[in-house]
Amino acid sequence: MNVYLLQVVNGVGIGMLYFLLAVGLSIIFGLLRFVNFAHGAFYLLGAYFCFQAVAWGLSFWLALVLVPLAVALLAWAAERILLRRIYDKPHEFHILITVGVALVLQEAVILVWGPLGDNVATPAPFQGVVMWGSFIYPKYRLFVIGFTAVFALFLWWVLEGTRLGSAVRAGSESTEMVAMLGINVFRVFGLVFALGAGTAALAGALAAPIRGVDPFMGLEALGVAFVIVVVGGMGSFGGALAGGLLIGIVQSVMSSLWPEGARLMIYVAMAAVLLLRPHGLLGRG
Amino acid sequence: MPALRDNSGLLLALAVVLLLPLLLQSGTLATEVLVYALAVLGCNLLLGYTGLLSFGQGVFFGMGSYAVGILLTRAGMPLMAAVLLSIVIGAGVAALIGWFAIRQRGTYFVMLTLAFAQMFYFLAYSLPGWTGGDNGLLGIPRPPLSLGGLASVPLDTPWRFYSFVAVVFLLTFWLLHRVTTSVFGRTLLAIRENEARARAVGYDTRLFKLAVFAISGAVTALAGALHAMMTGIAPLSNIEYHTSEMILVMTVIGGTGNLFASLLGAAFYVLAADWLSTLWPRWLLLLGLLLIGVSLFMHKGLWGVGQGLWQWATGRVRAGRPAVREQSL
Amino acid sequence: MSPATTMATSPRPGADQDVASAGAMQPLLDARGVVKRYGKFTALNGVDLRVMPGTVHSVIGPNGAGKTTLFHTLTGTVPVSAGRIVFNGQDITREPDNVRVRRGIARSFQVTSLFGNLSVRENLRLAVQGAHPSGAFDMWHAPGRRAGIDALVDTILERLGLHARGAEAAGALSHGQQRRLEVGMALAARPRAIFLDEPTSGMGVDDLDGMKALIRGLATDHTVLLIEHNMNIVMDISDTITVMQQGRVLVEGAPAAIRDDPRVRAAYLGNMITGGQR
Repeated sequence: MNVYLLQVVNGVGIGMLYFLLAVGLSIIFGLLRFVNFAHGAFYLLGAYFCFQAVAWGLSFWLALVLVPLAVALLAWAAERILLRRIYDKPHEFHILITVGVALVLQEAVILVWGPLGDNVATPAPFQGVVMWGSFIYPKYRLFVIGFTAVFALFLWWVLEGTRLGSAVRAGSESTEMVAMLGINVFRVFGLVFALGAGTAALAGALAAPIRGVDPFMGLEALGVAFVIVVVGGMGSFGGALAGGLLIGIVQSVMSSLWPEGARLMIYVAMAAVLLLRPHGLLGRG
Repeated sequence: MPALRDNSGLLLALAVVLLLPLLLQSGTLATEVLVYALAVLGCNLLLGYTGLLSFGQGVFFGMGSYAVGILLTRAGMPLMAAVLLSIVIGAGVAALIGWFAIRQRGTYFVMLTLAFAQMFYFLAYSLPGWTGGDNGLLGIPRPPLSLGGLASVPLDTPWRFYSFVAVVFLLTFWLLHRVTTSVFGRTLLAIRENEARARAVGYDTRLFKLAVFAISGAVTALAGALHAMMTGIAPLSNIEYHTSEMILVMTVIGGTGNLFASLLGAAFYVLAADWLSTLWPRWLLLLGLLLIGVSLFMHKGLWGVGQGLWQWATGRVRAGRPAVREQSL
Repeated sequence: MSPATTMATSPRPGADQDVASAGAMQPLLDARGVVKRYGKFTALNGVDLRVMPGTVHSVIGPNGAGKTTLFHTLTGTVPVSAGRIVFNGQDITREPDNVRVRRGIARSFQVTSLFGNLSVRENLRLAVQGAHPSGAFDMWHAPGRRAGIDALVDTILERLGLHARGAEAAGALSHGQQRRLEVGMALAARPRAIFLDEPTSGMGVDDLDGMKALIRGLATDHTVLLIEHNMNIVMDISDTITVMQQGRVLVEGAPAAIRDDPRVRAAYLGNMITGGQR
């Protein structure tokens, strides 16, 4: 019983990170109708930038703020310089250009930091475990759950309460209408793309102390992000949350039973959703 | 001369096939070009001719490798029988995946192929009894080719194997040329152009998509089978995302909607990889940049660049000519 | 014998029937209680439509009345939410659009939907072949082997007045020419019933007369269902007019009756309905 409880809590922890990873991809799809294959690369950059910042002696907290901003800036530049030119082209080229960007970023990471990967030390205040009776759990993972929950609320507020958020939500319905209302649609696209990349980078930075950094974590993350976005519903904030938690918990519980099966199952779930209910649990498509 | 024009793709392919042994020292490298060219042809059929962007080509490539590996080592089949059966298996798996995947369109279709690709990868990983798991299948032989029981042609050296693969490649190229210029091929182009219209004039577009999936799977599995015999192994990486990604990259870089372009794309990638990877291990970064460049400026890939240069050099202008003639290669 | 030539020589059933006795015949198309819902929005709320063979049956109504949606359900472009559609004695309610083509139903689209990058000839060849789609699975032979198909394409090109433009890309044609090609795509299937959705939409005055003559010419060989806003054409050539409003049939009858009907006037907000002077 205790083992499963542990796995469920683990699952929630993983699930919150998954949510953070997926919500950006989901929003980008909802507004730009764009499948961003570079999303995993932003996660990768977030992890490595965090690793480097800490290696330079920066405080982890400062890194947690600066790293997502840095990656968001990079993404914003990429959208302006590259992506904006191909919105009107067939969707193959949207996909292929982001595949190209992902490839460039991944190789750049290996160029700078080498192919082998590294560890990131858990920040000082969260080292060690909490003990509640017989329940033992790493402090850092609890922090991650708490932090991402707070960040989720912040993101929710941005999407529901600000003008940017309204523009995003309206734009998901109809970009023509939004343009006619005088809102610079392209500026919104750029900001959304940056926001999506920033959240992915934040997820990467948070994940780094848990699973270390390696150049291929981006590809792995991309696959999982796709599953969550599909299962939760493309373009849906709530869907990313529900999907993230669901996949996180299922994967965590199954990993103690049949590890390879866990990975297989999530893709079976993805295929099933795409076939039976393509808009996912909560999505509008 | 219309006959020359209509078959110019095949003639160009023949020229390349004859040129490779003169330009390259390694028979294995030359074979690799043709093997991947077959895989790219399979991908091009889907993307260039039917408008289907599939991230699952690695599944068929891997299945072809596994199939021929198992048939040659455990069933002790002769060469041609094993290869032909691998082709059939590839077509079957593609029909299965295609049957599901074509139920959705556009982005949902792409993500479905991705989901299936990942599923098959983890399936292959979990069944080491069949696939050798992480290690893959090893010790795949290269039996001699028996010609109707009269003669037995050994394929042991790299250049002998290249000759065999070259014949297979040209034969496949010719068959695909017939398919793409046939009534069926023209219908595929129409489906890619405007699927709703194709349905409205009476075509069961799902059936056509399923058929082209099966053909693509067959050709890609053939490539996988030849690859396995070339290297002697059927690794797990053949069925990995990276393989599917690279096949797509080769297809787009070469140029879609034109069969010879597939050979161009494969040759470019394989030779660049071989040459550049010794100079700079991070050569994939350049490939990524090229992919970005192609997406922005060179939608018709290397073939389009070549075509543009040829038109500029010969001073011909092709304004107003409809695309259906362009596909005749 | 190529299917195209056999179809060209066989007489069209009902084509030379007297209009007066049309009422005694079975309707070619009998749609009862057609409902179409998109989520919470009901586009069609129980529409009955009976079309007699050999007639020109127009569907008119203000924007949003559901005319195009009705066509979509009749041609199989979208499935119905409820109702029954019988064509030529067969229940085709569950059949998708590509199957209905073989039944003898072909359509043009309100928003031009052609194979833009393919030549005009190729567009028509595809449409002709589409009526016999099993032939399109030929993976060995290039098109052009069946002379019947080429001849039929030529005939249609002549009829559309596009013979000189056969080799051009469909997307390169003028708007008026594209609208004519839209009609041609439906003609190519040699259908029993031809559905034209606002064929004259966006056309200039010069092209209008040509289109009107084309549609009038169709009536001899086909049963024509027509959605049109151009009342000149509707009143001139229709045998029956169905007026729709907000997903229902408002009234149905001969042109003269429709023109004078107060309900129709009210539906169109008092706009004059002119035409009908043969």
